[in-house]
Amino acid sequence: MTDLLELAIAGLMSGLVIGLAALAVTLVFGIARFANAATGDTMTLGAYATLGGTAATGSLIAGGAIGILAGAAAGVIAYATVFRKLERRSPVAALLASIGVGFVIRAGLGLVYGHGQQVFQLPLVRPWRVWGIRIQPTDLEIAAAALATLAAVFLILHATPIGRQMRAVADDPDLARVSGIAPRRVMIALWALAGGVAAVAGCLLGIKTVVAPEMGWDMLLPAFAAAILGGIGHPVGAVVAGVLLGIAQETATPWVGFTYKIALSFAVLLLVLLVRPRGLFGRIEGVR
Amino acid sequence: MILSLEAVTGGYGEVDILNGIDLALEAGSILTVAGTNGAGKSTLAKAVVGLLPRVGGRIRLDGRDIVGLPAEERARAGIGYVPQVANVFPSLTIEENLAVVEGVADRRGRIGALLAMFPALAERRRFRAQSLSGGERQQLAFARALMTAPRVMVLDEPTAALAPSRVAESFERIATLARTGIAVLLIEQRARQALAISHRGAILDGGKVALAGPAADLLADETAARLFLGAG
Repeated sequence: MTDLLELAIAGLMSGLVIGLAALAVTLVFGIARFANAATGDTMTLGAYATLGGTAATGSLIAGGAIGILAGAAAGVIAYATVFRKLERRSPVAALLASIGVGFVIRAGLGLVYGHGQQVFQLPLVRPWRVWGIRIQPTDLEIAAAALATLAAVFLILHATPIGRQMRAVADDPDLARVSGIAPRRVMIALWALAGGVAAVAGCLLGIKTVVAPEMGWDMLLPAFAAAILGGIGHPVGAVVAGVLLGIAQETATPWVGFTYKIALSFAVLLLVLLVRPRGLFGRIEGVR
Repeated sequence: MILSLEAVTGGYGEVDILNGIDLALEAGSILTVAGTNGAGKSTLAKAVVGLLPRVGGRIRLDGRDIVGLPAEERARAGIGYVPQVANVFPSLTIEENLAVVEGVADRRGRIGALLAMFPALAERRRFRAQSLSGGERQQLAFARALMTAPRVMVLDEPTAALAPSRVAESFERIATLARTGIAVLLIEQRARQALAISHRGAILDGGKVALAGPAADLLADETAARLFLGAG
């Protein structure tokens, strides 16, 4: 029982990371109307930028800020150079282009940093024992950072004019335009936000595990699965589904093994698409 | 003339739906545009507000050609639009539907004034628009379009989604708009009722103006009545 609870806590941690990645996916899908396959590699970029920023400044918080800025910048640059030109094309064209953008980011990182694994040099701390359950202080910090990021995103979406405009564009782009909302400004804000969120997810994943050029790409399937399970285009749904998926993956490890736990995401993805395509929170038409 | 259309053509893709439309609208007046399904009425509305992908000819707002102006800039320049369907942001609250509009000088004051004008909305200001009835949605759509204090309102079949008991109220609201000095371009299937509150009317057929003139003359025109106005 204790082992299972420890696995559930580990699942909660990885679920928060998946939830953040799924949030980045669903934000783009809800507003730009396509599945952005470059989300995983933007996570990786954020992890490497945080690593570099931490080394340069000596502060993980300053490094994290640099990582977020790098992710946001990558999102805006990808929009300006690629996705803006595909706005009137089919979502499939944008999806394929995003695979290309992801590949460019991954290849660039491999070229600069090599394909070896890197780690965040953090001080070793003893785990706490609460009722016999081991809890890593680092996990609590990761959870706090993830929750703070989620709070910031939801604050931006619900309590700022640009967030309101993003939700309006997600509801109805044409009605937004005839309401005086300039789509370009909204799209730049969206890509900066989605890139920043993906970077935080990558940074937290890097702290929890290792930093390598493929780390984000490997997270793409769970992120897509969570975005679909939560109801594509639904930010709250993406986060909740990410946490559920993370817990399910980790607690399934004793039965399916570490290597195959990722297959659980694929199974969830298929099951949701077959049984409840609108996901847990989504409406029938899909985009909130 | 506050709004004038000169030889306006356009459509989606390669095919023209509008085939050279000339219309003019004065401040404080209502121009009803009627016609059969597929005549180009809604396409005309989209051409005026900037949502039609391909438009030719000239559309002048206060003498300025706005054909090249994007929809968001036309909204800020003084063109309000109430689409036939999907006329509110369903996931935003009533208050957010109004607050999200750009190009408003005194946003808070304007929201207060519009909620006072529509008390049913004021009571439910924190409710999501998706929870509203058809009539309440239309009130919200009007309020949203009025946020920018427009000089021209383009209304695309505003009575289409209303219960019959609400139709007269909706036409009265439109007449009130015109009395405040707003020019109203009214696309409407209920042509007789619309012409009854209008100053002028135009009947589209095949993307062209088949008949146009003072509303009273059109109502009295036997050909128009037989071919286009129906029993409505």
